[in-house]
Amino acid sequence: MRYLLISISFILLFSCGSYTKKYNLESVDIKNSVIQNPYFSSLDKDYVYKANIEVYDNTFGGLFIVKKISKVEHRIVFTTEMGNKLFDFSYKESDFKVNSILEALDRKILINILEKDFRVLITENLNTIEEYATNNNSVYKTILNKKPHYYYKKEYLNKIINAKGGKEKIIFTFSEISDNIAKKIEIKHNNIKLKINLKSIN
Amino acid sequence: MRNLFFIFFLSVFAIQAQTKMDPVNAKALQSKVKALSKTSQTITSDFIQYKHLDFLNNDIKTSGKLSFKAPDLVKWEYVDPFSYAIVFKEEKLYINDNGNKSKIDIGSNKMFKQLNGLIIASVKGDMFDDNAFNITYYVDGKNSLVHFNPKEEKMAKYIKSFHITFNAKGDVVEVKMIEPSDDYTKIVFSNKVLNKTLPNEVFAH
Repeated sequence: MRYLLISISFILLFSCGSYTKKYNLESVDIKNSVIQNPYFSSLDKDYVYKANIEVYDNTFGGLFIVKKISKVEHRIVFTTEMGNKLFDFSYKESDFKVNSILEALDRKILINILEKDFRVLITENLNTIEEYATNNNSVYKTILNKKPHYYYKKEYLNKIINAKGGKEKIIFTFSEISDNIAKKIEIKHNNIKLKINLKSIN
Repeated sequence: MRNLFFIFFLSVFAIQAQTKMDPVNAKALQSKVKALSKTSQTITSDFIQYKHLDFLNNDIKTSGKLSFKAPDLVKWEYVDPFSYAIVFKEEKLYINDNGNKSKIDIGSNKMFKQLNGLIIASVKGDMFDDNAFNITYYVDGKNSLVHFNPKEEKMAKYIKSFHITFNAKGDVVEVKMIEPSDDYTKIVFSNKVLNKTLPNEVFAH
């Protein structure tokens, strides 16, 4: 019995740490206890992106619009190029509200995925629970949406990985960064065929 | 507070600028628009689209070109700040998203069919269907403004009202689609040319 417990704990320990092992992340002392994601943090700015969504074998486009309404509130709206609203979400601290959604998209499973993906985009401050180093990147482990997320930062935050076991489940990539704006953002899901590409247009 | 005053003055101004049109003139406008619509074999126009969302500081401005060829070929093309074209042709929707081409068959989709019909109708302004809309007519300076409020519940869920502004010739100069939340999309046409020869290649995918 005792051996069983020990081996189970060992397996748990091993599987929890396997992402960092698999990707050769070297554990270091925590230097930054808070990680910041500045890309949707300005109250003064309207964030407007041309979006391209590939889901299974369908591709569709639209405008992805984010506005920080108050210190604790974001509004996220997706419209077609012609302006029709496809969905309209509100985030206020840990609350989430669907203001409207097109009937065809009104599926709990889809809303769940989008809610979590976009929460990663707009969450500004997170507590570091572990810190690693690799290829000139500092990697900060934190918990978001109740799941471990790894924040990769060189000069800027350039990648967020939602990892499960040794696998990268969702990869958020930020590029062409200037003035706290990521001109290009990609959200790629590895366990389902879903990819969201965002390109800043304002 | 200052905003409140501004809104107040704006609405007072709006009320003054728009007075209800008498039924005789409304009927005359209808005939003028229908006649022009019938003789418009082709239309080309530039447009600027303003997407207004209440929570944004500024409207999202996009611009492009519209081409129409009777009876039902429409190309709606954004040029700035991104390249995106949508062609309505033979119950199909052809999309060219900056080089990525796709096609949607709208033959079986009632909503898309309606949308297609509406786009063609609103380009020409000929939406005077009392079965589909509650229609009210206003005089707006030299122009006429017509509100089309969808009667069908399914449509009304997405669009509360179409406001179409016609110039003295009965030509559409502005279309505003207002959502139930009062957010809206406003399209302003300029450099409109009627009945210029338009080869089918314009609508090629």
